[in-house]
Amino acid sequence: MINFLLLLLGLAAIGTAIYVVGRLIFDIFAMFRDRATRDDGDKAVLWRDVKAIGIVAQVAALLAIVGVGAFLWGNFRDRTDAIGLKLGFDFLDQPAGITIADNPLIAGDSVGTAIVAGFFNTIRIIMVGIPLALILGTLIGIARFSSNWIVRKLATGYVEFFRNIPPLVVIVFVWSAVFLNGFPTAQNAWKPLGEWFILSNNRFAIPSIMGQDNFGVFRWILLAALLLAAGVAYWRTKVFDNTGTPHHRVMWGLGTFFGIGLIAYLILGGPVSMSKPMLDDRGRVFSNGFRIQMPFAAITVALVIYTATHIAEIVRGSIMAVHKGQEEAANALALSTFQRYRFVVLPQAMRVAFPPLISQFLNFSKNSSLAIAIGAAETTNIINNLFGQSQPAPQLILILALLYLTLSLILSAVGNLINRRLQIVGR
Amino acid sequence: MVDKAANYLGDDIMSALAVDSTPPSAKLSPGDWMKKNLFSNAANSIVSLIVGLAAAALVWFGLKWIINADFAIIRANLRIFLIGQFPKEELWRPWASAYVLILGAGLMTGAMARNSYELDISQELEPVKESWGQMVRRFWPVLLVSIFFVSFARTIMPYIGLAAAFVLIVVTRELGWRMPAAVRQRALYIGVLLFIVSMLVIAGTSRLGGYALGLVVFIWMMSELSQVETLPVGFVGTLVRAAIALVIAAAVAVIQNLIPHDGFGWENWGGLHISLFTTVVGITLGMPFGILLALGRKSNLPVLKTASVIFIEFVRGVPLISLLLFSNLMLPLFLPIDFERPADLTLAIVVITGFSAAYIAEIVRGGLQAVPKGQTEAAQASGMSAASVQRFIVLPQALRAVIPAMVGQFIALFKDTSLLSIIGILEFLRVSDTSNAQQEFVGKGLASVTYLFVAIGYWAFAYTMSKESRRLEAKLGVGHR
Repeated sequence: MINFLLLLLGLAAIGTAIYVVGRLIFDIFAMFRDRATRDDGDKAVLWRDVKAIGIVAQVAALLAIVGVGAFLWGNFRDRTDAIGLKLGFDFLDQPAGITIADNPLIAGDSVGTAIVAGFFNTIRIIMVGIPLALILGTLIGIARFSSNWIVRKLATGYVEFFRNIPPLVVIVFVWSAVFLNGFPTAQNAWKPLGEWFILSNNRFAIPSIMGQDNFGVFRWILLAALLLAAGVAYWRTKVFDNTGTPHHRVMWGLGTFFGIGLIAYLILGGPVSMSKPMLDDRGRVFSNGFRIQMPFAAITVALVIYTATHIAEIVRGSIMAVHKGQEEAANALALSTFQRYRFVVLPQAMRVAFPPLISQFLNFSKNSSLAIAIGAAETTNIINNLFGQSQPAPQLILILALLYLTLSLILSAVGNLINRRLQIVGR
Repeated sequence: MVDKAANYLGDDIMSALAVDSTPPSAKLSPGDWMKKNLFSNAANSIVSLIVGLAAAALVWFGLKWIINADFAIIRANLRIFLIGQFPKEELWRPWASAYVLILGAGLMTGAMARNSYELDISQELEPVKESWGQMVRRFWPVLLVSIFFVSFARTIMPYIGLAAAFVLIVVTRELGWRMPAAVRQRALYIGVLLFIVSMLVIAGTSRLGGYALGLVVFIWMMSELSQVETLPVGFVGTLVRAAIALVIAAAVAVIQNLIPHDGFGWENWGGLHISLFTTVVGITLGMPFGILLALGRKSNLPVLKTASVIFIEFVRGVPLISLLLFSNLMLPLFLPIDFERPADLTLAIVVITGFSAAYIAEIVRGGLQAVPKGQTEAAQASGMSAASVQRFIVLPQALRAVIPAMVGQFIALFKDTSLLSIIGILEFLRVSDTSNAQQEFVGKGLASVTYLFVAIGYWAFAYTMSKESRRLEAKLGVGHR
């Protein structure tokens, strides 16, 4: 995956260089052709021709960029040669010697594998955190319009406090004050429900499922059931649109999914079984079940708290942008407060809110790199560990930047796609 | 004359419409107020009770925690939190620096307030002089937090110093207000020069300080000389002006270098001071680059446009921490091989300048788009050159429109300076970690106390600035014109 991204980067660089130089040469030819076809009285002297000045400026800029770049590259090569640093990407295949708790990564795995494992952890933080931040932020944003004085003031206080302290401070505070020192240690973990719920400052664990015979087939059937359920929900929506009979699409969809799942489970003879967290002789969780490392929980919670304030401000602004007549009309129809927000105000507000929300999602994904401060093993942290193992820093920083660039590009592409669906189709 | 008549007519209509437009004052009794705001119906009452109890519990436990907390760690480390590892016998430097800074800020803001006051009078608007009560309401978080900080001091000196600072603010602002008009017009330069001088008081004689002083004096002299009419006009005139300004600027820089006084370079700075300093420097240096990048992105010359777009999108697409790691691990590798490695903060400032330039570029681009196209076209029609159109017509309007967003960027960068702690620079947040590693405090679980202290410090500055940004937005009427 990393090699593929590096290849893409190289191709993009070459493509940009070809485009820029080609465009410049084309412009030069176009200018001379244009000048050749004009009468003498109709054209400026060469050094006063706007196009000529532009071309000279661009050639000068290009030469300056290339010159400075060559100078820096020369220095860079001198320095890397002096300290014996190799510039290839072969190191990606060497063993990394890094393990991540609760991750299949083993010490013998390659550097590339370790980085990708970290990258997937980053994606996990984002996929859990962004929806939570969106929900919390929207609720707080709405709460600032509440008719209840306490709710309104608390929401304002929350936003004004957390918005104005650095995310890193929120993260280290949540981690050290709440998670690390506030929760019981692994030996004295909090187990209100026995093995069903275990919480300590090291791990959070609940039972999950474990594959048995036929698990592979079962997984594929579940996937097919999911697609079928989506199709059923879509069909119910169509029926509702055409005939007006109540759609109940959620019920239909869930029914399809669980019905097929249950039948498949019975036919395949129990392809999954319960997997309870296993404890070692000192009472610590060490395997099985669904486990979350506390640093991951802390970074997610802290970033949700921080990002939700920004989202709340955006939601508040966009609700204020909804025409007041809409709200009054909803009141005149005797809609409840929930109905008014769900069916009238929020759909219109979200249309305004979405573009700035995308940039908040991007900020969330970039801020997830601050996990480096509390030791959650995501991309930045893994790469920082690799520096310590005397892996080459320049290549690693390039890869780090490349991974976050990819993430930003994907997120903003998805965001823009959704945004296009949300906007009113104009003529 | 015609304009004035129209104005009077307009005023008449407006005053006729304005009669009794204020609603009758609705002063509720406490009981009615509670009924309206807390217990308007059953659901609201339940919510009020639950949320109110939760809030009360939060306040109760918070207060209990604060009363029981051990603040000795803050008392022992207050100096490090504020200015880093500054030797005790040199403490007069930061104080003197702060006073010079207050002097500059007081004179500048006082003079600027008076300038806009006079402008209002000349435009026959109703001039307002802000009262001190209003000023306190604007800046209460910073005032409160500075008192809060000083309350951890173990000697009497900081109290006296802070009181003197408050007095100095009042005196210099009034002084700035009363300065003659000719001086008031130059208040910006005086303020900036005093800012640099205040940094030099800490840093001592330094070549960098000399350059900064020289640059500001040069720009100032150029603007002064452009009003001297005996100098020739055109290109030759510009050269003559530049030569004179250069001589004066060089003289100032040389004099600065001749006054021998030792100080502490920024490799020895730390604490809140470094956070604020890095923010100011990052925004100030980032501004010109940001404006150039924004113009580059809007230009139709493909080389400039592509270069600007790549730089802006790259910097905005990666987290700041990866750029700071770059500054720490890679930037020194680009220097010629016989150069010594610069201080960590120098490397970080280089990267932060580029970082803020990319964000400022996007802000300025928004401002450029907000300037109506007719402005450019009218300027071109009156025969201005492309550079003049940008310099005198487009940029002034665009930059005015983005002032609130720029303050927002300032806040964001101020918060982002906390990341310097990760690359080992002793800024505000990192002092919390180092003090918890001290022998007397290690393993006592005092991190939450120090983090809370740090959070309050960041909050006071950021919140004040965000209030200012909202005030500016309302004052400039951005989006309502």
